[in-house]
Amino acid sequence: MNEPGIDLPQGTLDLLVLRILALGPEHGWGISERIQQISKDVLRIQQGSLYPALHRLERRGWIKARWATTENNRRAKYYELTRSGRKQLETEESGWKKLAAAVAQVLEAT
Amino acid sequence: MLSDLWIRLRSLFRHKAVEAELDDELRFHLDRQIEKYVRSGMALEAARRRARIELGGLEQTKEECRDARGVRLLETLWQDIRYGARMLRKSPGFTLVAILVLALGIGANTAIFSVVNSALLNPLPYPRSGRLFLVFASNPHARIAETTLTWPDFVELRGHNRVFSAIAGFASHDLTLSGHGEPSIVSTVVVTPQYFSVLGVTPLLGRAFLSADGRRGAPPVAILSENLWRTRYGSDPKILGSSIVLDHRPFTVVGVMPAGFRAPFFPAADQVWIPLFQDTLFRSFTKIPGRHMLATLARLGAGVTRAQAQARMQALAARLAHKFPAQNAGWTAGIRSLQKEVVGPHVRTALLVLLGAVGLLLLIACANIASLLLARATARTREMAVRLALGASRGRLIRQLLAESALLGLLGGLAGVALAFACVQGMQPLLPSALPHLRPIRVSGEVLFFALALSLAASLLFGLAPAFSAANASLHAGLKEAAGRATEARSRRRARNVLAATEIAVAMVLLVGAGLLIRSFAALTSVSPGFNTHHVWQAEISLPRFEYKTPEQWVAFSNQFLSRLEAEPGMKDAAFAVPPPFFVQGDLVLGFRIAGSPPRYGGINPTAHFASVSPDYFRVMGIPLVRGRFFREADSFTGPRVAIVSRAFVRRYFPHEDPIGKRLLCGFPPDTQIPRRIVGIVGDVRDVSLGQAPAPMIYVPFAQMPFWGGPLVVKTRLRASSVYAAIRQATASIDPDLPVTNFQSLQAAIQSSVAQPRFRTLLLSLFGALALALAAVGIFGVLSYSLSQRTGEIGIRLSLGASPGSIRKMALLEGAKLAAVGLGAGALAAFGLARLLRSELYAVTAHDLYTFVAAAVLLAAVALAACYVPARRAMRVDPVTALRHE
Repeated sequence: MNEPGIDLPQGTLDLLVLRILALGPEHGWGISERIQQISKDVLRIQQGSLYPALHRLERRGWIKARWATTENNRRAKYYELTRSGRKQLETEESGWKKLAAAVAQVLEAT
Repeated sequence: MLSDLWIRLRSLFRHKAVEAELDDELRFHLDRQIEKYVRSGMALEAARRRARIELGGLEQTKEECRDARGVRLLETLWQDIRYGARMLRKSPGFTLVAILVLALGIGANTAIFSVVNSALLNPLPYPRSGRLFLVFASNPHARIAETTLTWPDFVELRGHNRVFSAIAGFASHDLTLSGHGEPSIVSTVVVTPQYFSVLGVTPLLGRAFLSADGRRGAPPVAILSENLWRTRYGSDPKILGSSIVLDHRPFTVVGVMPAGFRAPFFPAADQVWIPLFQDTLFRSFTKIPGRHMLATLARLGAGVTRAQAQARMQALAARLAHKFPAQNAGWTAGIRSLQKEVVGPHVRTALLVLLGAVGLLLLIACANIASLLLARATARTREMAVRLALGASRGRLIRQLLAESALLGLLGGLAGVALAFACVQGMQPLLPSALPHLRPIRVSGEVLFFALALSLAASLLFGLAPAFSAANASLHAGLKEAAGRATEARSRRRARNVLAATEIAVAMVLLVGAGLLIRSFAALTSVSPGFNTHHVWQAEISLPRFEYKTPEQWVAFSNQFLSRLEAEPGMKDAAFAVPPPFFVQGDLVLGFRIAGSPPRYGGINPTAHFASVSPDYFRVMGIPLVRGRFFREADSFTGPRVAIVSRAFVRRYFPHEDPIGKRLLCGFPPDTQIPRRIVGIVGDVRDVSLGQAPAPMIYVPFAQMPFWGGPLVVKTRLRASSVYAAIRQATASIDPDLPVTNFQSLQAAIQSSVAQPRFRTLLLSLFGALALALAAVGIFGVLSYSLSQRTGEIGIRLSLGASPGSIRKMALLEGAKLAAVGLGAGALAAFGLARLLRSELYAVTAHDLYTFVAAAVLLAAVALAACYVPARRAMRVDPVTALRHE
């Protein structure tokens, strides 16, 4: 549990949050758990930067928040993707894929 | 972005709810994380600590979230404003004075700007009026500047100009409208068909003129103004196609122009427009070679520059001179912006001078408030030091202080706009009197925007230096001083001294300006017009020309009327005069030739002012006879033609010979070549304006150059109502339908001719007085403050044996130094700026020594008086109290 994961490169946190929310509404803790699970604990996100990121995304109108009860009956703030957030996700995703492919190509070539 | 705004505003106004939500959200996260660690076997305490560390500190995360929501800027701005308002409320005296001073400054600026906006920036209510130009002809050899075009000039110009998208000629000719009610005289504008399309206006009803209407021999048509249609024809919906009668000829109405449309130069509300060839007078003018008759209005074509149009006009003039050498040799053509022509250079300069003056006034107001704020900055040194010590950044402090001054500026602006609303109607006399109705003065959107911008600019002006000065307070010194009393930082004291001296300097500029205008106005109103102005009355009687058709009838009427009027008690001194002094706007000139002398200036006749007067005129007006004789009854319609000339006429045209017995060839068509023998020389009169030197003048007997009625002058000691009744009585006894109009005293006519300079002088004097008062308050404030700061020092001086008198002298000297510096700088600036007033001055040079000295003495006296109160107070300081205070 204590082995260090990979710190997220700058600017990718937004992309991951949007991607997770594309699966359905989720609260902040849930998002951080999901990212860890899906990346098989490789990606660890700084929880201190998760919430400012969520508030920033909300202000930009890409996600919206609403209060709801969890499965074990606690009130939590759930975030979900808006239409413009979905569009943003698409552009960021394709941008990221291009970047990753390009980086991979360079690495393989040398 | 909407979500952005919503979130910012929600964070701002639902501050508590948002904070609680943030709290809940992070708490939920922590709880889940702790649960997770506990489930994986960690002890509760360890799990808690770990979760908190991972979150990176609750408060810090919260702060980052707040930043991410973008609330900081708005929230702190709101805080600053609330804090500023609290500070202003806490010192109501300062706030009230500052707002009043600002309201005066901003109010005066807004009011003057509303006039500038109406008269200079946007004077004409026509679409894209900046593209409208007047085309004029001038003849530099004959010294004829900017007159109307001849008909052939106009035709050539219309056909070949290539630079204007539309062009139209116009002239004015009053006609008698009869049928459908009382006959009346209507202002008629005689136009070529494109007139309305040049101006870019469309009729309310019917159509504008077509080019077919403008042909010679076309059926007569007319367009009415909405006002005339509504009042005279009761808004008759069937007006189009019906017939009206002008000078006994029927015209078919084809259109009605909306009430909002006023013709340039002829802005009468009741108006008729007819095609040029339908007017007998102007139709006859088109056939007279070389007759300049038509003012010409043109709209510049798209993409054509003014310079191109000007060049094209010169080329056309050259072509015309070639085509019609007899009439057009020596003539050239040019264009002038309609806006500038309508407003006139005098109004323009006067308004710009006033705008400059109120700008300076605002500057003094700002300097005053800045000085007050600097004093407050000293009083708040401790507050600022504490804030800095608690970690506020200097930028944040400056922002807060600026918010405070912006609040002050906006409050002052608000009061100023209220002031402007209150006095903007009183500004009407600043408008060119020829065109009072083209665009009313009002506080429009543009004016409000100006006031807002001005308030904010003023806030920056008076707030910036004090804010920087306060925020730069040294932390160490500030806290140390806080123990005792804050003494004023040296830089701040210097700044206050500079401000006080500036106020004096600016006040000096305004006082000199006001003084020059006052001197000029006094000179203008004390000039003798050359005739008697007391107990003389004017009135006008106009005969309908379809009833009184011939000159013989006009003469018969005038003789009959004068004999009836003079039979009324106390009315024996009466005469007709076309025109009497100060009756018409501008010069009325007549071309003439001296019989036997060669034509001058290549065929162009010299001109002189003229008046056609009945025999008693000179006696009524008190115009002295220099030589020869006045007119007599014998100088009748059938008798030998005679004329009287003025001394200025003799000086200009007969400098070395005796004019009596010489003959002048002059008169209106068809009498232009009639010789008139000069029988007398009379004194000069100022007949157009008091500021204009007497022009050469020709008088002819009314009986030999009669008009269809005309203005009347009467000398009597009766009261106005009796005079009017007597004139009415005499008119009615001849023809009960004749109206008597334009009744007023000659003095009133002269007064109204100087109404504009009087009002400008009054305003500038008012601004000068305000500047004086503000500067006095300024130097008073600076000196009392600096002396109150030095109470301790004065106490020591007194206890060491200084006499109270020497203390007073020291204080006065300090004030005098400030005043002297301000006066010196102000005199220099006034010397430079007074030149701008030159065109406004009559009989006073812009660098009039007397005015400069008087302004300086007045200002120095007021400044010293303002210093005297604090100086006395300093003298009375009780050394014991002062030292204990320290």
